[in-house]
Amino acid sequence: MIRIAAVGDLHYGEGSQGILKPGLEHLPDRADLLLLAGDLTRRGKPEEVQVLADELRGVSIPMIAVLGNHDYHSGHEAEVRRLLEGAGVRVLEGEGTTVDLEGVRVGIAGTKGFGGGFRGAHGSDFGEPEMKAFVGHTKMLSNRLARALAGLDADLRIALLHYSPIEGTLEGERLEIYPFLGSYLMAEAVDNAGADLVVHGHAHHGTEKGRTPAGIPVRNVAQPLIRHAYNIYTLNAHREVLAAAAGGIS
Amino acid sequence: MSEPADYLPDRIREQLFHDPRVAEQDLKVDVKEHRVLLGGNVSSIQLRHTITEVAQELLPGYEIVNETTVVPATEPEDEEPVS
Repeated sequence: MIRIAAVGDLHYGEGSQGILKPGLEHLPDRADLLLLAGDLTRRGKPEEVQVLADELRGVSIPMIAVLGNHDYHSGHEAEVRRLLEGAGVRVLEGEGTTVDLEGVRVGIAGTKGFGGGFRGAHGSDFGEPEMKAFVGHTKMLSNRLARALAGLDADLRIALLHYSPIEGTLEGERLEIYPFLGSYLMAEAVDNAGADLVVHGHAHHGTEKGRTPAGIPVRNVAQPLIRHAYNIYTLNAHREVLAAAAGGIS
Repeated sequence: MSEPADYLPDRIREQLFHDPRVAEQDLKVDVKEHRVLLGGNVSSIQLRHTITEVAQELLPGYEIVNETTVVPATEPEDEEPVS
């Protein structure tokens, strides 16, 4: 059994020192992997992410992150990424990575993702350049997500996003802002490529649990929603993988 | 020309969001006569105090009632089997 800890929307900034650290104390005993689902800062300032990086440094389980819209606000996303990676956090954008957890290969494909809306009510890349850029950005990131997921050589596969791929985990948010909270194009990418779990943030007033149209579990781990330092989800690898990891069969 | 009161809550919410000391998108702002009611989630007590100060700067002479909630960040009690 693989234990996945996940949280997003920590929104670190001035005065955030120590918010997460007490909750991290027993993390390595309780989880095998920590996923960070974006919006790790308030304004994407290097000094904001440095506070978080200092709290994460030394956490002894693998840490994988995507950035969120707040982390791009100041135009320092490359520095934000560098500081997180300096603290041992692997930051993904349109890429995948695989970690070996006691013989089980867990693959994570990550992207910030973007908005546009959901089935039957999605924007089109048509008309003004601004609209083309908006929907075009979502399409590009969704295509990269599909490629990154499909390229994972792993026993379990996870899609790590900031924006939501489904409406189900947005319930509680105002309908008027759904197009700014996510896009079904990411769910389509996940359903086409296949995955065991999708994790996202961004929707603070949404709902934790949902599924893609093909039935893949989706979890919204926005910290103001889950109201914990992280939540833990367990995944069971297929029986033959577990047996091989235990040395039973090759 | 004075600003119609109907637009005031959204203007204050937007100004709070864009103030580098706050940068909090989740705030709810309601204005009734000369009373400003602030709601929503914040991540720390310090941020909660800062929001009150900045709101008072934006609307001097108004009473600021800060009913925002500091979100707990404790360890979860249990885990969820997903598969």
